[in-house]
Amino acid sequence: MTTFVLRRLFWTVPVVLLVILLTFLMMRQIAGNPFRKSERAVTVSQQANFNRKFHLNDPWWKQYLYYTKGVFTFDLGPSLVLRNQDVNDIVKEHFPVSLQLGALAFIFALGIGIPLGVVSALKANSVYDYAAMTVSNVFYAVPSFLVATLMIYFFALKWGDLTGLPTSGWGSNSAKIMPAIALGIGPMAYFARLLRGTVLETLQQDYIRTARAKGLRHRRVVVLHVMRNSLIPVVTAAGPLLGYTITGSFIVELIFNVPGIGQYYVTAIQARDYSVTMGLTVLLSVIIIVANLFVDIAYGFLDPRTREARS
Amino acid sequence: MLRRREPAVAVPGQAVPPVAAMEAGAPIRQTSLWRDAWVRYLRNRGAVACGIVFLMLLLYCILAPVFSPYDPNAVDFKLAHQSISWHHPLGTDKYGRDLFTRTALGGRISIGIGFGATIAILGIGVLYGSISGFVGGKLDNGMMRLLDALYGLPYLPFAIITLAIVGTVTFWTMVVALSIASWFTTARIVRGQIITLKENDYVRAAQSLGARWYRVLGRHVLPNTMGVLVIAVFLELPGVILGEAFLSFIGLGINPPDASWGSMAQDGREAYRLYPMEIIIPSVAIGTLVLCANFIADGLRDALDPRTRET
Repeated sequence: MTTFVLRRLFWTVPVVLLVILLTFLMMRQIAGNPFRKSERAVTVSQQANFNRKFHLNDPWWKQYLYYTKGVFTFDLGPSLVLRNQDVNDIVKEHFPVSLQLGALAFIFALGIGIPLGVVSALKANSVYDYAAMTVSNVFYAVPSFLVATLMIYFFALKWGDLTGLPTSGWGSNSAKIMPAIALGIGPMAYFARLLRGTVLETLQQDYIRTARAKGLRHRRVVVLHVMRNSLIPVVTAAGPLLGYTITGSFIVELIFNVPGIGQYYVTAIQARDYSVTMGLTVLLSVIIIVANLFVDIAYGFLDPRTREARS
Repeated sequence: MLRRREPAVAVPGQAVPPVAAMEAGAPIRQTSLWRDAWVRYLRNRGAVACGIVFLMLLLYCILAPVFSPYDPNAVDFKLAHQSISWHHPLGTDKYGRDLFTRTALGGRISIGIGFGATIAILGIGVLYGSISGFVGGKLDNGMMRLLDALYGLPYLPFAIITLAIVGTVTFWTMVVALSIASWFTTARIVRGQIITLKENDYVRAAQSLGARWYRVLGRHVLPNTMGVLVIAVFLELPGVILGEAFLSFIGLGINPPDASWGSMAQDGREAYRLYPMEIIIPSVAIGTLVLCANFIADGLRDALDPRTRET
């Protein structure tokens, strides 16, 4: 097990380097130098100084090495648009908000989605099952901006007096409810669909029949045998879903005016602030790589077969 | 070869029609994989209903602009923000343009980009996956390591950077942006499929008869991945269409006056407090399309993939 974890950890380093390289090469294709006269009023000598400071005269691979060094020493460079702010400041200011939003959305998705799917499977082909699956299929398909807009329209504008929910912002606890639900409702539907499938599959296994034949109570069979084995796919799904939660939060943060990293990403793109775009892309990718790492390791603990296959 | 030689062996003069031998026994109704799959698909009522809705939506997008009396781009502020009426079945937008016509045109762009990007994803995936799976060995190992590295990365940031590189957003740049970082799953599926197929007896038989690699690949292996690819079309389509809608919604959509459903939703968002229908209509169109594609994918998987049939 230790070798498996170590190998997996070691393998993460080249992956991160590769992803930085790809992002770096793509960003280089965008033409322009931020310190040219046409972009900012700087004198020739100032421009030369800037070029030296940010290594703009060096060959691309040297720039890549400098950038990589920056990433590993937690220095993502300055913002091209906001004066006196570098990407680190932006990350420090906006990332905790996005993290909190993502965590709340994930809790919502797991807390509602798993029971919905499990009960659907246990009462397969009942009215409850059809209702739950209709709801999940609809929310799995509907774009998050519709959910977010409709929630604001009904819960904050039309029935705002009853619910007391604000239309936007992130200041109070009540302001966090709607963005978290709007972001989490897609993953919730996904978990419900996933769990229904895996529980139905687990229920057909021989060990469930054995447990029943031993005379175990229904509740004990469900909790101990069905649930434990059905939850493994949830771990596998968590990695890709994290990516969904991050990219989905672009829209939700924009609509609810949440001061998170997703909203800032969109602002940076529109303002052509490429160093921020690049820094945030690298950051998001590294988060997902690390999440995949944890998922793989957790999976190795849960299912010994994968561990042996990989090492 | 044997059958062709038979008439020469047979006694000349006795002209026995070769069909007679077939008709002698009980009539054998020929069946193929595709006909079986079609019959199985028709048994799935949800998938059939969604298939019909999907086709109707396609027909609406193709035909509605042809028969519409309105110019989809003609601006008339006197008609702005009209509600649903006999003359305008879906109302008008802020420029007084008929939404029934514009939604159909937006659908052409959304669905067109969706299928375009899906085909591009499948093309890259098949190329990558078949080389990796068919050649095997060290090349396969290296290519899979690269895929492992890229797997799970969010495609939206990379799509956004691609759009920033090309500057102006057209139909084809959108297709490139959406497919550039979303082919990893397809490549994996194709590789897995090819590795399983490669071990089949008929492939070995072909190889031992001296068939060249391109004949084995093109004649015996690739045709058998068709089932997986047909499913993959409808598995990829929802993600691509939602991705296009997200990009358009954050202002990186196709240039006006052309509009996809995503950019129509972005337009509708400006005035959703007063005229919620203008964001609801394109969003519901996206949701319907994605829902149908999901159900069609489920139906196709049950029909074409024998392993999942029992559940």
